[in-house]
Amino acid sequence: MKTQWLFPHRFRLVGWLILLPSIALGLAYMYADFQLEFLTISFAKGKGFLGGELTINLTDEVAALGVIAGLLMIGFSKELIEDEMVGHMRLEALQWSIYVNYIILAIAILFVHGERFFDVLIYNMFTMLIVFVIRFNMLLYKNSRVLAL
Amino acid sequence: MKNRIKVERAEKNISQAELADQIGVSRQTINSIETGRYVPSTILALKMARVFDRRVEDIFQLEETD
Repeated sequence: MKTQWLFPHRFRLVGWLILLPSIALGLAYMYADFQLEFLTISFAKGKGFLGGELTINLTDEVAALGVIAGLLMIGFSKELIEDEMVGHMRLEALQWSIYVNYIILAIAILFVHGERFFDVLIYNMFTMLIVFVIRFNMLLYKNSRVLAL
Repeated sequence: MKNRIKVERAEKNISQAELADQIGVSRQTINSIETGRYVPSTILALKMARVFDRRVEDIFQLEETD
């Protein structure tokens, strides 16, 4: 795996700083109907249905984009020593994450129906990245527990 | 694939960490190669051979199961 498409190492911390508030914001939006009022924008006065104005709140968009940005930074930041074996482990973790993501999705397709499937779709936007980050770090950890000689 | 890295390291009195620094990889990578868990790229094998002043075939040997 070439290293030219990776973020600098310190972006990993930035990723966490973006990810955790975004997850909190997203969960609050989904389950507590929480919105950030300053993210409400209205436009198209007179162009909405029946001539009213169009108002939308961007809390969920910001939360989703924050989770995506955070996970990308965490998963694709360079390690301290980015050598070929780390690149190899990253590819392995990517393959794993695709398998696991689609197996979980297939199970959800079988057992979740109707409106509740919308929740599955929302989580499925992020599960591939989440599984990748978990698996990659598992591989790194397993590897670091070697005896020195 | 068999390798003689440990023997070569002992002869030259180099630790895994020192070898890793000289080649530009992590110590875990050297350990993984030595224990046969990871096959290095050609470039890495050539660099290793250069450090030990040997030919690549003297350090890495093909086995029947490869």
